[in-house]
Amino acid sequence: MIAINQLTFSYRDGTFRLRIPVLTLESGRSAVIVGPSGSGKTTFLNLIAGILPSSGGEIRVGHTDVHRLTDNDRRLFRLLNVGQVFQDFQLIDYLNVLDNVLLPCRIHPSVTVTKTLRERASLLLQSVEMSSFERRSVTCLSQGERQRVAICRALLLSPQVVLADEPTGNLDPVNAERIVRLLRTETRRSGATLIMVTHDHSLLPQFDQIIPFEQFLERTAAAKNDPQVAEGDT
Amino acid sequence: MKNALYLAWKSLLWQRGRSLTILLSLAITIWLPVTVRLVLDQFRREISERANATPLVLGAKGSRIDLALHALYFDTLPPADTNMAEVESIDNLSTANAAAYAIPLHVRYRTQSRPGIEGAVIVGTSPEYFEFRRLKVAEGQTISLLGDCVVGSNVATKMQLHPGDSILSAPRNAFNLAGDYPLKMKVVGVMAQSHSPDDDAVFTDVRTTWVIDGIGHGHQELNPQTDSQLLLKNDTGTGSVTANAAVLPYTEITEDNIDSFHFHGEPASFPLTAILIVPETEKSRTQILGRYSSSLATAQCLKPPEVIEELLSIVFRIEQLAWVCSIAAGVVTCLLLGLVVNLSMRLRESEMQTMFRLGCSRTTIAMLHGSEILLLLCSASVLAGVAALLTLQFAASVLRSLLF
Repeated sequence: MIAINQLTFSYRDGTFRLRIPVLTLESGRSAVIVGPSGSGKTTFLNLIAGILPSSGGEIRVGHTDVHRLTDNDRRLFRLLNVGQVFQDFQLIDYLNVLDNVLLPCRIHPSVTVTKTLRERASLLLQSVEMSSFERRSVTCLSQGERQRVAICRALLLSPQVVLADEPTGNLDPVNAERIVRLLRTETRRSGATLIMVTHDHSLLPQFDQIIPFEQFLERTAAAKNDPQVAEGDT
Repeated sequence: MKNALYLAWKSLLWQRGRSLTILLSLAITIWLPVTVRLVLDQFRREISERANATPLVLGAKGSRIDLALHALYFDTLPPADTNMAEVESIDNLSTANAAAYAIPLHVRYRTQSRPGIEGAVIVGTSPEYFEFRRLKVAEGQTISLLGDCVVGSNVATKMQLHPGDSILSAPRNAFNLAGDYPLKMKVVGVMAQSHSPDDDAVFTDVRTTWVIDGIGHGHQELNPQTDSQLLLKNDTGTGSVTANAAVLPYTEITEDNIDSFHFHGEPASFPLTAILIVPETEKSRTQILGRYSSSLATAQCLKPPEVIEELLSIVFRIEQLAWVCSIAAGVVTCLLLGLVVNLSMRLRESEMQTMFRLGCSRTTIAMLHGSEILLLLCSASVLAGVAALLTLQFAASVLRSLLF
């Protein structure tokens, strides 16, 4: 379960301020975040993952208050409990498809790459029709294919929370549907909470909870006069 | 660590060009001082071993280093000759309390060169030399007759010589028409490899080298009645005849003409280029050294280890210079490596950001960078080590041939 209470966050320049009084997301359920660009959707995911420290309030993932952890503990928490699909995929160029999926194990302090994990990685790739690409370099893949590899990487260690930042942004409707189904199936199976950011409103019916995010954004006077801040994702 | 090494290996493979450049730079930086050290150590060991195994060297007064190098490595000619009288004098010294024996060396000539093969040095000595240097015959037999020779293993290989073949000496001076004639020597044996300068020499009896020197010779028997045109003088009173230059000396010693070979002059005055002295007791050693320490002495007697030590001190200075150069090269390489690593870290910033976002700890990120450097350093060390060993196989002999 993810429980948020009086969470606040602002960037140092003071142009952006996020405030979420109360928000609860149950385990095994899925939530979709919608809202215009710059409304703080990506920032919110980064706050849950512990990538960004909050300015105040509480984010509780399971029994862990993420923002009471030290930097090192937050990293470990992320690695153990959070699967992330980034907007720009963030795959490692020098690793092939299979090694990219297995990357969380390679950087994990206690997990080793076992046969079972390899098989799980292969199975995940198979479920997104990427099994024939296992040994291929990620630099040779299309955007959609890279997206699918990034999703497999996020699901590999069956995390407690899956945070997906526009995972269907580069996919056609059929593949987008399939990816959402995969994310839903995998998270439901492992009892994980899925939070996905999307602009594709056709996918909303597949989620248990819809969070319109604009309500949480507090814009300062400076931000209102800055067109760049208003346009870009934050 | 295994995972960090795996990722580092993949990253190095991905950037092959950069990795190879760093690897080679590091390998050369490590190889240079290691090789200099190994080669000089081997050279020092070899040169010291032979010097330490040679108790005393006797020769004409002059450069100590030249004499020592000549007697040990058959290199450089001493400024003057000594003679057989010194050998006899050492032999006469041998008593129950002061035992020593002398090994004559006459090293003035080389064999004739062949296309692409330089002639080998001819060492005229006595059978004691082989015993003293513990040289074994690998093929054939040792020298037994005048004109016989045994060849060192390298000479045999280079010139493809076997027992039964023959080899010609080279005249020392092509313009000396009345001087030494080339002598055809019969190869009776090939020495076993000794990894010493003996492998590059042709050994013969000291008397054979005197024949090459023109002191001894053989020629047709002259009959004063029938060969009057070959005579300069016929002393009927004493029965001795003096032949003119038309009587050519034999240029090969065979079973048929060996008896005609004879030497002119007093044996004690026959030249030697050096004498190895082997004292059997400390007392005899001291006695011999004392005998030749006087300024009135006709020859000098030196202790090769001391002389070689003097020479090695020069080599040490060269080594120090090489070390300074290597350290400078090492510092430059480290600075360049630092620069490359720094630039590489900047290039890989987005990758490290991904690692951070996935939850990679600071330690693991440091290990990823460290593993790359470790892999490069280990590979460079192995490469440098192999290159150093390969260099060592060839460099020691090259270095020896360059120095001596």
